[in-house]
Amino acid sequence: MNSAWLCLIAAGGASSLVLMSDPPRHSAASGPVAAASSGQSVSRVPGGVILVTGASPSASDSVTPVPEDARINGRVFDDPYFQMSFPLPEGWAEKYTSPPPSDSGRYVLAQIAAADSFSARSKGSLLITAQDIFFTSLPAMGARETIESAKNHLPEEYRVEPAPERVWLGDREFSTFAYESPQAQLHWRVLATEIRCHIVEFVVTGRDSGFIETAMRGLNKMKLPAEENPAAGPFPVCVKDFARGDNLLRRVDPVLTGHRFNPVPVRIIIDRKGAIRHIHFLSAFSDQARAISDALAQWRFKPYIADGQPVEVETGILFGPQR
Amino acid sequence: MEKSHFALLVACSAVFLLAATESTPVDPGVQTAQRGTGAALASVLANDNPGILSFFNDGQTRFQAVESVSGNAAGNNGLGPRFNSNSCSSCHAQPAPGGSGAAINPQAAFVSQGVAPDDATPSFITPTGPTREARFPFFLNSNGTANLNSPNGGVEDLFTVSGRSDAGSCKLSQPDFAEALAANDVIFRIPTPVFGAGLLENLDDSTLLNKQAANSDNDFGISGTFNRSGNDGTITRFGWKAQNKSLHMFAGEAYNVEMGVSNLLFPQDRPLPEEDQQGRGLPANCLNLSQGGYPEDTNNPSLSGPAILDDVSAFADFMRTLAPPPSGGVVLNGTAVSSTSIADGKSIFGAIGCATCHNETTGTTQPSSITGSLSKAAVHAYSDLEIHHMGTGLADNVSQGNAGGDQFRTAPLWGLGQRIFLLHDGRTTDLISAIQAHQSNGSEANAVIDNFDSLSNAQMQELLNFLRSL
Ligand code: HEC
Ligand code: HEC
Repeated sequence: MNSAWLCLIAAGGASSLVLMSDPPRHSAASGPVAAASSGQSVSRVPGGVILVTGASPSASDSVTPVPEDARINGRVFDDPYFQMSFPLPEGWAEKYTSPPPSDSGRYVLAQIAAADSFSARSKGSLLITAQDIFFTSLPAMGARETIESAKNHLPEEYRVEPAPERVWLGDREFSTFAYESPQAQLHWRVLATEIRCHIVEFVVTGRDSGFIETAMRGLNKMKLPAEENPAAGPFPVCVKDFARGDNLLRRVDPVLTGHRFNPVPVRIIIDRKGAIRHIHFLSAFSDQARAISDALAQWRFKPYIADGQPVEVETGILFGPQR
Repeated sequence: MEKSHFALLVACSAVFLLAATESTPVDPGVQTAQRGTGAALASVLANDNPGILSFFNDGQTRFQAVESVSGNAAGNNGLGPRFNSNSCSSCHAQPAPGGSGAAINPQAAFVSQGVAPDDATPSFITPTGPTREARFPFFLNSNGTANLNSPNGGVEDLFTVSGRSDAGSCKLSQPDFAEALAANDVIFRIPTPVFGAGLLENLDDSTLLNKQAANSDNDFGISGTFNRSGNDGTITRFGWKAQNKSLHMFAGEAYNVEMGVSNLLFPQDRPLPEEDQQGRGLPANCLNLSQGGYPEDTNNPSLSGPAILDDVSAFADFMRTLAPPPSGGVVLNGTAVSSTSIADGKSIFGAIGCATCHNETTGTTQPSSITGSLSKAAVHAYSDLEIHHMGTGLADNVSQGNAGGDQFRTAPLWGLGQRIFLLHDGRTTDLISAIQAHQSNGSEANAVIDNFDSLSNAQMQELLNFLRSL
């Protein structure tokens, strides 16, 4: 049985629910577990579920938060990995869940739309994304440079609109800029900040500036982690390209025998003693995740020292073809 | 002006304004005016390189040839024992040979016309529905349940040669489509058009990769990837999931899978996935039905000129030298749409993020050894040729190469004005439904569709007008 199936069954996801309400017709299988161990058979393939996945995210444990854990719980957006949360303004809702992280390290954390109460039309929307700076296919940049560059490379169908270059939300500085499309009569406000080696972006889109201002007020209720401090947290120190050179005491390369041609971005947390305590695959086939996990279990690092103390460190490694 | 006239004028202009700005947007529908779709590339018409026009014409004839099982006087033998149709152009028909499915589905008449006399027409094949092929995402157990631990995903040919006078004693049963439908274990694919396909084929990987890097810088949450060949790791680009590398490869596979003709690339007759992977292949009395040996299609050393080629090469030559589909004017409710409206629609298409996947310019081709028009040409396919997560609404639970169950190649939109059936399974003929289907759990297009939903009626109409100009 492949591990994707184990996950699906362990998660008690939609498909096992269907199994329970709609038991297989053959007698050998008396329930979902029996069905799973004897080959999982169903009298109807559940709809609206992606059962056959390509490269997908997974992690070595389910306790350590990962960026794609972002959820809307009881009208509150919450991402435990970034320790970021805010209550959704009145009338805003997440219509659809986000796609999985990309193999270039990009996450859609949430897509939230505001319905127009007078028509079926949307008044605007909020998109929350994160780009892992370990894996970006673009030149790695901080939040300020990202915004600068977006402003300078704005495609011709848009016009830059006046907006402050920085704002403070939830005690954090964000770089911002605004633009509009005269043809589509839509306005955009983009806000970016750096959290935990990711560029976290909020993109507000709407038909009028009033909507954008309301959205900005809503975002002002955001709770964000305090500025990061290597010795005091709240996160492991994040260091790009930590897993090389002198830092790496022992390295065992994974043997990829199945899928070989897709980039496999892997984020790891190394404990104070220099062993890997958490592995997050942003995008990997299950055979790749297995082979890489087996190899990484044998890696050893020099502990990372901050203020004279060994601290946890987080970094990224790209397996498969290198960019 | 008299007061009553003034009032009338005001009322009329109000109605006019409402009509112009507030009326519900509608898909202008399939554009029927001739656009010259289906012609050869300009340089091919000019016979550059010398002789190439005869290859195009010969390939076009073969693309339209109807195959028999055996005994065909013109030598078009090798159909079956299992097949979906009996000529390339029966499926690639609209609006010209090389296109997508026609308004009237020829598959619906195969049983009554003796093409597949002993078969039953599957319930999802109807005279005015989409021309289709079917796949079962999972293998079925003998009791009709679907085995979720056993992904299938291969093409389940709709028809057999059973009962045909040119098929000897071969008798096969069709896949149990009723059972698969009852298990919700059938998905469909409609034909993708091949106009301009030679241009797509001549884009270097570097061109596509640079474009991907440029696309990744967007405010819509979109980040696609490429499907790649499991053999050499390079980018593959043809088919709904960008699963195939070249036109030659696709032609060989289609000849084998869609029509049952073995050839130099796919040298055996093809059994159903369950016959091959869970059984013992095709029965002996269904092999070598053409009585000419294998492969049924091969080179013709005794002939000369284009006729020396095997059919697969001739099909590939034809497809590679078809011109891209020309754009054209749009008629909406009997009235020509203004070019301003189309131009505005195009800007909206870019501004709201459609073009982040549907890149107007996919890239510029490499120098071509084949013909001038394929050389250093800008390719306006309205696709990035990347595969994207399209969410649970479009997912078909079929994995091909690196593409998972919900990943699809950005459908090239060139030629859209003359397309009848839309999306991979042909589920709709209406552009608005096709656009709305982009939005569902897990789709990369969700934010873009939110933008689409914030457009005014008039803006949506402009966007639809633009799409039908392609
Ligand atoms: C039964 C209908 C049918 C017949 C007959 C058929 N095709 Fe197709 N064709 C399809 C379908 C369906 C697809 C899309 C397949 C997919 O991607 O799942 C397709 C896709 C293609 C493509 C890919 C184009 C692109 O850019 O995606 C090529 C090339 C092609 N066919 C060539 C041929 C040739 C050559 C023949 C004759 C040997 C042929 N087809 C016969 C149905 C058919
Ligand atoms: C995230 C990438 C993405 C975005 C954004 C996107 N599309 Fe698509 N589009 C696709 C893919 C992939 C398909 C094929 C889906 C399928 O068949 O299941 C498709 C199919 C289509 C089709 C059907 C074409 C055919 O051959 O049947 C139309 C029409 C279309 N898109 C229009 C649009 C418009 C208009 C927008 C903007 C409102 C848009 N798309 C935005 C990826 C995208």
